[in-house]
Amino acid sequence: MISLAGRDILHAWGKFVFTGVGLGLLIGVTLTMAGVYRGMVDDAKVLLDNSGAELWVVQQGTLGPYAEPSSLYDDVYRTILGMPGVDRAANVTYLTMQVRQGERDVRAMVVGIVPGGPGEPGQPGYLIAGRQITRSHYEAVVDIVTGFKLGERIQIRRNHYTVVGLTRRMVSSGGDPMVFIPLRDAQEAQFLKDNDAIAQQRRRTAENPAFNRPVIPDLLDAVIASQSINPYINAVLVQVKPGFIPEDVAETIRRWKRLQVYTRVQMEDILIGKLIATAAKQIGMFLVILAIVSAAIVAFIIYTLTLGKIREIAVLKLIGTRNRTIAGMILQQALGLGIIGFVVGKIAATFWAPIFPKYVLLEPGDALLGFAGVLLICALASVLAIRAALKVDPAEAIGG
Amino acid sequence: MADMRGKGIRIEALRKRYGKGDTAVDALKGVDMQVAPGEVVGLIGPSGSGKSTMLKCLGAVIEPTAGRMTLGEEVIYDNGWKIPDLRALRRDKLGFVFQAPYLIPFLDVTDNVALLPMLAGRSNAESRKRALELLEALDVAHRAKAMPSQLSGGEQQRVSIARALVNRPPVILADEPTAPLDSERALAVIRILNHMARQYETAIIVVTHDEKIIPTFKRIYHIRDGKTQEEPGEGRAFE
Amino acid sequence: MKFLSVNRRMFALLAVIVPLLALLIYVALRSGPLAPISVTVTTVTNRSIAPVLFGIGTVAARYTYKIGPTYAGRVKRLDAHVGDRVKAGQVLGEMEPVDLDDRVRSQESAFKRAEATLREAEARQSFAQTQARRYEQLFAARATSEEIFTTKRQELQIADASQSAAREELARARSDQGALVAQRANLRLIAPVSGLVAARNADPGTTVVAGQSVVEVIDPASLWINVRFDQLRVSVLSAGLAVQIVLRSQDGRRFGGRVLRVEPIADAVTEEILAKVTFDALPKRLPPVGELAEVTVTLSALPALPVVPNASVQRVDGRLGVWLIEDDKPRFAPVKVGATDLDGLVQIISGLKAGQSVVVYSQRALGTRSRVKIVEQLDEVSP
Repeated sequence: MISLAGRDILHAWGKFVFTGVGLGLLIGVTLTMAGVYRGMVDDAKVLLDNSGAELWVVQQGTLGPYAEPSSLYDDVYRTILGMPGVDRAANVTYLTMQVRQGERDVRAMVVGIVPGGPGEPGQPGYLIAGRQITRSHYEAVVDIVTGFKLGERIQIRRNHYTVVGLTRRMVSSGGDPMVFIPLRDAQEAQFLKDNDAIAQQRRRTAENPAFNRPVIPDLLDAVIASQSINPYINAVLVQVKPGFIPEDVAETIRRWKRLQVYTRVQMEDILIGKLIATAAKQIGMFLVILAIVSAAIVAFIIYTLTLGKIREIAVLKLIGTRNRTIAGMILQQALGLGIIGFVVGKIAATFWAPIFPKYVLLEPGDALLGFAGVLLICALASVLAIRAALKVDPAEAIGG
Repeated sequence: MADMRGKGIRIEALRKRYGKGDTAVDALKGVDMQVAPGEVVGLIGPSGSGKSTMLKCLGAVIEPTAGRMTLGEEVIYDNGWKIPDLRALRRDKLGFVFQAPYLIPFLDVTDNVALLPMLAGRSNAESRKRALELLEALDVAHRAKAMPSQLSGGEQQRVSIARALVNRPPVILADEPTAPLDSERALAVIRILNHMARQYETAIIVVTHDEKIIPTFKRIYHIRDGKTQEEPGEGRAFE
Repeated sequence: MKFLSVNRRMFALLAVIVPLLALLIYVALRSGPLAPISVTVTTVTNRSIAPVLFGIGTVAARYTYKIGPTYAGRVKRLDAHVGDRVKAGQVLGEMEPVDLDDRVRSQESAFKRAEATLREAEARQSFAQTQARRYEQLFAARATSEEIFTTKRQELQIADASQSAAREELARARSDQGALVAQRANLRLIAPVSGLVAARNADPGTTVVAGQSVVEVIDPASLWINVRFDQLRVSVLSAGLAVQIVLRSQDGRRFGGRVLRVEPIADAVTEEILAKVTFDALPKRLPPVGELAEVTVTLSALPALPVVPNASVQRVDGRLGVWLIEDDKPRFAPVKVGATDLDGLVQIISGLKAGQSVVVYSQRALGTRSRVKIVEQLDEVSP
């Protein structure tokens, strides 16, 4: 027995492949959407991985530093260093803002890190070009998504920084690229505004008679000086000594230092459960709708293809072809269409995923699931067409 | 009358009623017909006379309401009882030639014909061998690898006749096979049918109203208002 | 034979499908999680690095003289303007004397009165002395009573005392007068050294309190830089080290300088060490006080040790180390690091030898089971 489905495909292969490509693009969009969701979750995980921390110490009562603003004094880290089980502790600040270079500006998460030796928590774990920050001021390591190159000068608030290193996949949970600068500069950037605002503030302070006393000549200067420093940071990143359980160390810090401490697992819950939950649901819904639409379109295509063969099907039935054989032909065609569509879709998704502004992660598991789903949908869609085909009366072939 | 025992087709008192009760319509009101192997008879009637119903019953496509049908040596319908597998019957015992060739467009000429033996369970090689035999007999073997769309109308018609014959069915039903053809071609088709009928000992029933070929039949069944009447035909020889 | 036409079709279709499938497999293996990670490597070499310290400072004047009155008063005139060059001793302005002149005159009169009182006391004393001598002689001749003699001696003592009092009174009046004159002189605001007027804090007519500065004068030749160094790794900072100074306004021009001293008191809050750095030669265009300056101190070169770029050093599972590539597989080697220089080279004290190949840049974080591919340069980094 020859394969009727195969012969039909061979005969009208152009139409078949063309339809397959169209279907493939639709499947590609669906796979990409799943990739967008996975990319969002991966952004959150990567943020936690890249910080190099096992514990996050933040302001009591907050979900910070990523989900909620958190403020700590910058000398808190010294007491944390002294707690049992703490191997390293480093201050860190986070601020999402516009970073300017020449004529354009880029939205980035500016991370203030301690420019100590290599391997301090908060520093980027690996680079793709350049070097880590060595000076205590005015150097920056940026992520490649910003588009900045080595040696360029970027402007953050009032200061200029030279790009000395490039990283990859250092992004915030929102997908904004990270720019690492020394902690002092970051504290200043978080706090000090531009020159006009500072001049205004000084003027106001000078006009306040409580601060501007002629009897105490240096009072005004002292007040302005105190207004111009920022002793706050957003979190302390902690690495735990080998042999200690992070949750135990966290509990000790919580109890004795009146601070909030989160372990890696808890931070993941916060980021994925709270920060990206809404966006994830949005994409999830869209994915469901896409899948339904894809299924409907596949069903429609297969149904139409079958209807176009009604006469042949009637003749086949008349000359004695089993229903089973006819059903098999339709099913095989549907599956063949599905396979072509999936292959085209997977390739298309792989090629256009890097163009997206945020990270799109196409997992092989998702692809396999998608493949199974496509085949299932094609099979179910063919049911409709098979029913139509089987209802055909062989007598139709015999004219009236 | 030729010897009817063993082959050919015989119909006795066939009735077909559509619908029930007051709205019922009797399309066939007791039809008798018999065709011997090797015979080519005509079935002539105006539209609405029950001709298509007759054809559908003969083609084992619909089930009659009453009467008896014998195909070859088998009784295939007897007053309410019918042979269970109509489809296999059509595949093995009936051949169809239509107004239009109705070839499967995505199979080449050989496979179009070889499809029937394949459906009957024969191997691909055997089926194709048989198909080639018939194509040679019908003088279209030189187009064996072409696709139907590449053939002329006459060639397609011959291929469809080959298909009808490939399983050596005892009966062939031809429904207006010459309608779209000119007289030369029409006579050619009838000539082939006669030739094939004799060669393969097949009974052929030709449903037609084509004046060009009616004179060629030796026997004609007229069907009117659901009843048939047998008449001798002119039996004009052709060629 | 039979299959030829069918085969041609099949071939054409396969010619489309097979490359498509091949592309799919290529895509699956080359990108995404199954792909090998591109890395760049470098060879460890023995080098001696010269650590460089880096600090940010502000230009300051070594001495700032804030000139003002010692008594509350009103500014009468101010001749100095910001930017004027003044000489030592130059009068820059004057405060209102108010009642000071009258008080000086009154003090003069008091002085003269004290003089008169002294003369009177001296006259009395000489008289009492004469009287006491005469009665002493009389007493010796028994011409008078002892009582009168004793009285006259007592009058002499009283007259002596009065004279002393009057003398001291005169001295006091002189001192008071001196004080008022000095104050009168103090009404003038005088530049203590030659220099530049840096600020003018009160205009004529303004009332100022004692101690409030009216004019600030600095010596421009005494400009230095107040530098802050991060506390890490500055144990080698000491006086006398040569530095390079880059001023914010004169970007690109490097000035030579020297560390004058390292402040004994560091900044505990900002964790920085303070130092003072002087210019070897002052820039032609004097930087204004308060301008930002970047100071780099190049220390002496350390003995040669294996060095790697600081991008190679990573912390994995709590240990500091580098990734080596052996047999196309990555292996993590823990190391101990030493000094670093500002260009990102790190000394390796133990754990590596010269000639080993270490990973510098990688597309993703490496693990012991990662598949790696060594390239010249990572794709995303354009030259």
